[in-house]
Amino acid sequence: MNELAASYSSAAARPALPMLNVRIAWRNLWRNPRRTWLTASGIAFAIMLVVFAMAMQLGQYELMMDNATSMLSGHLQVQSRDFVETERFEDTLPGATELVRLVESWPSVLSVAPRVEAFALASAGERSFGAMVVGVDIEAESRTVRFLDFIQSGHAPQGPGEAMLGSVLARNLGVGLGDEVVILGTGKKGGMAAMLLEVVGLFTSHQLELDRGVLWTPLASVQEAFGLGDEVHTLAIRTNDLASSADTQRALADHLAQGAPDSPALVRNWDEVMPELHQAIEIDKLGGDLFFYIVEILVLFSVVNTFIMTVFERTREFGMLLSIGTRPWRIVALVQWEALFIWAVGAAIGLGIAALLVFWLAEVGLYMGEQLSEYTAQFYMPERLFPAFSIEAFTNAPLVMLVGTQLAALVSSVRVRRMRPVEAWRAAE
Amino acid sequence: MADDVVVCRGVTRTYQDDAVPVLALQGVDFTVTKGEFVSLAGPSGSGKSTLLNVIGGLDRPDAGGIHVDGVHLNELSESELSDLRLSKMGFVFQAYNLIPVLSASENVEFILQLQGLPAAERAERAQAALDALGVGELAHRRPGELSGGQQQRVAVARAIVTEPVLLLADEPSANLDSNTTEELLALLRSLNETRGVTILAATHDPMVMSFAKRRVQLRDGMIAEDSARVAVA
Repeated sequence: MNELAASYSSAAARPALPMLNVRIAWRNLWRNPRRTWLTASGIAFAIMLVVFAMAMQLGQYELMMDNATSMLSGHLQVQSRDFVETERFEDTLPGATELVRLVESWPSVLSVAPRVEAFALASAGERSFGAMVVGVDIEAESRTVRFLDFIQSGHAPQGPGEAMLGSVLARNLGVGLGDEVVILGTGKKGGMAAMLLEVVGLFTSHQLELDRGVLWTPLASVQEAFGLGDEVHTLAIRTNDLASSADTQRALADHLAQGAPDSPALVRNWDEVMPELHQAIEIDKLGGDLFFYIVEILVLFSVVNTFIMTVFERTREFGMLLSIGTRPWRIVALVQWEALFIWAVGAAIGLGIAALLVFWLAEVGLYMGEQLSEYTAQFYMPERLFPAFSIEAFTNAPLVMLVGTQLAALVSSVRVRRMRPVEAWRAAE
Repeated sequence: MADDVVVCRGVTRTYQDDAVPVLALQGVDFTVTKGEFVSLAGPSGSGKSTLLNVIGGLDRPDAGGIHVDGVHLNELSESELSDLRLSKMGFVFQAYNLIPVLSASENVEFILQLQGLPAAERAERAQAALDALGVGELAHRRPGELSGGQQQRVAVARAIVTEPVLLLADEPSANLDSNTTEELLALLRSLNETRGVTILAATHDPMVMSFAKRRVQLRDGMIAEDSARVAVA
């Protein structure tokens, strides 16, 4: 083997150096391992805390939304456009049977519960109170919402002439199971609507508005008494995924526009039906985000400090690199690589610990304490909180810290761009 | 002249030392021709390092012009000076100044990577340079695992691996014992004689001066004595 061939053979046996700068950056991290670990630990802590807290926060929101929508409203609702604006009794959805069939035919719709809502006077003996008479299909309701879980005594109304009352309304009227209640209202065409109902069930939802003013009775009875025919006010819908209900809303709206072009039907998502819940979540989320950003910014200050020290300590080295012909941007790039690696170490640790915590709590849940459990039990919420597996929770903090560490390194290495070799030598002496 | 590697005309440089202006170079006229081995000697503060710095494009003169291999340094931007240093000059520093996290061969390859050479060629040339300097066996050791003399040999290998027009050495023997200094100087002279590398070394080490073919003595920022001029005279 001649000398040149031997030289090539020797070179081939060694690892290639496609990215020498990257290698330098990685090794530079471990020139001061204590400082590297401290900085990476800060990044890891911030990422772990934010990812975990955000997963719990989103889990709590999911639980709130699930409880709120599954209690009564459903994930989506279809109502007449006019009814949404005016809530007038006359603004109904005609052709309800066909409309229900059309909605049920959409793949992501699990069930549909048609409802009629009529204000009327409920009387028993000498007592009379205003009440919302809700005509429901009990079978459909049991598939769509879990309002029947709130039955305190008796059972849901199964046939004509049966009613289920809110416990406060029943108490106000002075009625119990087996007693009769007279309903008097105004039909769609202005005539009197009258019903004689037997109390077969009482419910307590702990929502005073419902417990004090709502009465459930079979849909057909209300439609007949109030002269509605095949009309309803609301279709409450359960979809296969609450998180994507907005997508279903849009798709279903298109589906109805094609299948029933003359219908005044408007599809509304849960956040439009319950804007107060949506706003409460948004405000809480804003507060949470503010806390997360404060944690991240505090940690980033320590990262800035690390890189200022790094650049300061290596002024002489940077002077040498400039002297032998290294362009300043290459040195800046080197520092940026170091920032990337220190972030990667911190992010790997932080995400790893957060993922373990989230996976574990997804199995066992976070017990909220005895007092809180008693409180939440009243609202049929579980006594344990479960974190949400959300891409947002797992990517937000790492991305913020990535951008932050890159900026921290850039701020620190900006002086390298203006550094002249001889000044670097002198500064280091 | 076509063989002139360095031409300085009326080079002046003043810098501030604690707000006190120090005249480091006062109208220096100086030429180095291809293949010379020149020592810049003089006491501390005589201006030898400053002259080396302005010739190397590490610093700029306040007045006067400098040409290196026909290129007028005064007209170059910082980036262009950087490229010139990379393509035409090699540097050997007093404190070796190797990259501590890279092995000897990686240190030598680093400068070739800056020049954009492919990995295989880099590896081959780096190994050849280290072999030429007698430290080929130590290619995989990091600077911290090498003696001062070995580190300086690696630094020289890094300086010559790009086959520069001009090798600038600033006090190359300052941290070496006499035996190692002698070995290093023999090496530099060999490079000068066999490869025709032009060498300009700032020093106040008599041994370095004795190895150089031409001695230039600086005093108070001016050339006090130049063996070439004496020879001509």
